[in-house]
Amino acid sequence: MIADPQAVAIDGDIARRIAAWIADYAPLSGVPDELIGPDGRPRAHWAQLLNTLAGLGQDGVEGRFAAAARRINDMGVTHRVHGEAQERPWPLSRLPLLLTENEWREIATGVAQRAELLDRVLRDVYGPASLVVDGALPAAAVAGSPEFIRPMCGVEPAGGRWLRFFAADLGRGPDGKWWVLGDRAQAPSGAGYAVENRLVLARAFPSLYREMNVRRLAGFFRDFRAGLVAAAKRSDPRICLMTPGPWSETYSEHVYLARYLGFLLLEGEDLVTGDGRLHARTVAGPKRIDVVWRRVDSDWLDPLEANAASRLGAPGFYDAIRRGTVTLANMPGAGFVESRALMSFLPALSRRLLGEDLRLPNVATWWCGQEAERAEILASFDHRAIAGAFGDRPEGLEDGGPAIGAQLDDMRRTRLIRAIKTRGMDYVGQELVQLSTTPAWRDGALTPRPFTLRVFAAATAEGWTIMPGGFCRVANHLDARAISMGAGAQSADVWVLGEAAEPTTTLLPNNNDVKVVRVPGNLPSRAADNLFWMGRYLERAEATLRVVRLMCNRMTESQVGSTHRQPIERCERLLVAWGATAPMPGGASGAALALAAATSAEHYGSARSIALQATRSASIVRERLSQDMWQLLTRLDARLARASARAPLEPEILEMTERALHTLAALSGLMDENFNRVTGWVFIDLGRRVERAINTCRFVRHFAADDPTIETLDALLELIDSQISYRTRYLAGAAQAPAIDMAMLDPFNPRSVAFQSRRIDSHLAALPSLSDDGMMEPQRRLAVALRAELEAEDARRLDTARVLTIEQRLMAIAVAVAARYFSHGSDPSPADKRSRLA
Amino acid sequence: MIYNIRHVTTYTYETSVASTRCAFRLTPRDGGGQRLLAHEIEATPALHAATERLDFFGNRIIEATIREAHAKLIIAMTARVEVSREEPPAEGLTPLWESVGRDAADVRSLAADSPAHALFASRLAPIEAPVTEYARQSFAPGRPVLEGAAELMRRIRADFVYDPEATDVATPLAEAFARKSGVCQDFAHIMIAGLRGLGLPAAYVSGYIRTFPAPGEIRLDGADASHAWVAVWCGDPFGWIQMDPTNAMYADNNHIVVAVGRDYADVAPIDGVIVGAGRQTLAVAVDIKPVGAPG
Repeated sequence: MIADPQAVAIDGDIARRIAAWIADYAPLSGVPDELIGPDGRPRAHWAQLLNTLAGLGQDGVEGRFAAAARRINDMGVTHRVHGEAQERPWPLSRLPLLLTENEWREIATGVAQRAELLDRVLRDVYGPASLVVDGALPAAAVAGSPEFIRPMCGVEPAGGRWLRFFAADLGRGPDGKWWVLGDRAQAPSGAGYAVENRLVLARAFPSLYREMNVRRLAGFFRDFRAGLVAAAKRSDPRICLMTPGPWSETYSEHVYLARYLGFLLLEGEDLVTGDGRLHARTVAGPKRIDVVWRRVDSDWLDPLEANAASRLGAPGFYDAIRRGTVTLANMPGAGFVESRALMSFLPALSRRLLGEDLRLPNVATWWCGQEAERAEILASFDHRAIAGAFGDRPEGLEDGGPAIGAQLDDMRRTRLIRAIKTRGMDYVGQELVQLSTTPAWRDGALTPRPFTLRVFAAATAEGWTIMPGGFCRVANHLDARAISMGAGAQSADVWVLGEAAEPTTTLLPNNNDVKVVRVPGNLPSRAADNLFWMGRYLERAEATLRVVRLMCNRMTESQVGSTHRQPIERCERLLVAWGATAPMPGGASGAALALAAATSAEHYGSARSIALQATRSASIVRERLSQDMWQLLTRLDARLARASARAPLEPEILEMTERALHTLAALSGLMDENFNRVTGWVFIDLGRRVERAINTCRFVRHFAADDPTIETLDALLELIDSQISYRTRYLAGAAQAPAIDMAMLDPFNPRSVAFQSRRIDSHLAALPSLSDDGMMEPQRRLAVALRAELEAEDARRLDTARVLTIEQRLMAIAVAVAARYFSHGSDPSPADKRSRLA
Repeated sequence: MIYNIRHVTTYTYETSVASTRCAFRLTPRDGGGQRLLAHEIEATPALHAATERLDFFGNRIIEATIREAHAKLIIAMTARVEVSREEPPAEGLTPLWESVGRDAADVRSLAADSPAHALFASRLAPIEAPVTEYARQSFAPGRPVLEGAAELMRRIRADFVYDPEATDVATPLAEAFARKSGVCQDFAHIMIAGLRGLGLPAAYVSGYIRTFPAPGEIRLDGADASHAWVAVWCGDPFGWIQMDPTNAMYADNNHIVVAVGRDYADVAPIDGVIVGAGRQTLAVAVDIKPVGAPG
């Protein structure tokens, strides 16, 4: 029996271990550190954490950290670095940032005050603009922001607020007080990652998490959701999270949040406007959307009124907002308050609009659009950070800045000064900020790293609520000014240590997305499209691998002799016809061909390419799939990719194929057993059935025609998993008509075409109908006719030509399904091609 | 001067278009030296749920949907406008250009005519160092703003070649500037970018200019064209002065203003998103006829 390491470790060991961890811990002078207090000793709350960690032993701690890393992988938490094709695993720091409840209260009050202030500023600049008229805010400090969205002027936001979800980036100043470094109001990211960070760490250190009374995050999201519901025009509103799509840097977060909160995850293509309202395109026709939590920037929301090049929005979106029929979090143009130029005015605006001083100070900022401020910055140029006033890249700051005066060479310096003199309104000067440090785990010990803390605020009917936690970014180097995740920083969970234990609340339902999946009509057309294709691709991958397996089996058994060669040759022919591989020169081994058909990346029809397509379709509907399914899909991908790297022998190919088929079988099982029998599942299964029926027709055309040998007919039976039932039914060896009957017409064989056709028909019968006149829609009519015909068919009459006709009619059903459900019937081409008029 | 204007735009699609969502900024502005006496927009196929409003800059915008499948779309705008523009002020009497930049920043207004909107880089008129340097040559320290702007306008007219083949709507400003050729839209954007680079407010004006047939020739129907020019803010009390760099002249009673904005993107006469595939071709015919004038 293995003893609990915690029980074995004695106090002396713990103290020694902690001493070793922090022996080389050297905070920077002049900036505060989270771990080491002013007395040079670890602060009390950190001491508690370190004691517990040390009690686990060095291996215990490393083991839990490793488990956390695996968990991140398993959860599929990723992010994308701009311009990269592959998503990266989420870089989570192993240690949380610790905040005492007292300190937290101060931060929370300050951020709530700031959110309220910024909402009021927005209300004014998009409304009467009295701040400008009275001279409290220069017109140019507003008009210069690309996020001052002019079509929103004079608009009354549905629900009354411009800002509903806000984040502030904080840093700890030299005096230990918190400062606001920047505001995030366009579409703040990180809240979802914060929850995921929490799930990972809480699982790695469950007891620690409880002992330290770490405040929970779920309540914040519950309040946020309630706030959105209260702000909507209808009592049971349909809420969506609008994403730019899988290529977005934080798509994984969008998926997570949509699932966590039970919101529809929609892209611009899913949205249409009509009669001044916003609708989602669903398989049951357009459904009204009441609330949009957007992660798409204002400029891309509406190609008609904003950026005409946008493919991420919906034409007419601004108009629906203008008419107040849809509630936005946040309104287009809310991003205006992110501009640095505004920061210099906030202390005065706070006194004016709220009658109080800012509780959390800004980084001191001078907007160079004013003469006195410009002179001040030019005089103290060397000791300032110079940045774009509106987050853009003006002359001299083409790299995005900020630039530090003293660090510029003569040429850049002269150029920047001249540019500030000519167009001061494009620049701000800011006080140089030195970030404080928090411990990170490196090579088995602690080391100080600079960090920033993002704190989230949500509007509710009662005012602002603040997430008790946040999104902490930890730099990878001791010297860090600008921290971005892409630049190789890590994120850390943020623990607010409560003074007392807190009752449990969670948002995590066992059955995610409850509202959506119980209302079949809510399935967006694009999601239906991708689920259908995911089903088809998975089925196709399986069929390809079955042929590969058959081929490998026959090759290992085969002796010389033409009757044994026939099934192998036909497998080869089929794989080439499917684009799984190219014809190989005469001398090449069958093994090479089988391997290519399973694993080649070059051929569009190889099992690997098809599996990749399945994953791609799945990634677009990831919020609808369970984590288990997503994991199996990635595993399938990895398995086939790994095998292609080597040149394995026949038995190894066979083993790899078997394993891949097992993974696919597990996926089928998950889909059948763990997927709600609602519209989404219907589309996956419809895709599988259509594809399986088509593939079976092809098997029959290749293996039951042109004088098949008994071995070839036997191969057909193997491909459709029917050898055993055939043998129980027929005593003699395989014969043509019975084999064809089993493959094409047998209603009891779950792999026969007739069986698929019945399933297809019943699925189509279950899907929503657009008209209520009781007439059959075209796709159903095709399916009913095919089903009836197959039921009345005789296997002896089924020659190759007739099988081909059946195959073509199945394809026609697929086309009719696409026309009816995926592109809304108006346009027979699979996707809308949008183009600009002038 | 009173004009009858007819502006017909025809889109022809290779394959039928299922639906179109569109916005028109085709109707001449009312006010600022002109009066809109009558106006109408007709489309084939018919517009569905058409609404009319003024956009941020006060331009009349009509938004509509076309629900019928169509292979051709015709939009015809007719209007009657009376133009009576004031003479521009004497250039030498306008304020020094440096003070105009400062005054613009001090205007306490976010209204559509506030110079604050015209001070910054915009989508199609980015600030480019070479363009700013080009403009700077006309703005010696202490020069009256309109004197500098008029010289810049004349230099653009002299240095740039009018060539409709050289650029299209998508040509970036820097490229048109480097080629020293283009059309009215390019010249307007270049002048705007140069002025803004110096911290002076400049806006984009779209509309029509009356053309005169060459001596001995008759006026052809549909031969007129859309035009674009610039408005420069010259401080109080002068405000916005319109200048036409393509013709090196101040806008006069031969200019008819349809829309103003920061650049072409704010005033595009027709914006739309179609649902359909295939190529499209565009034909535009414009007629500007003075009422009572022959032809």
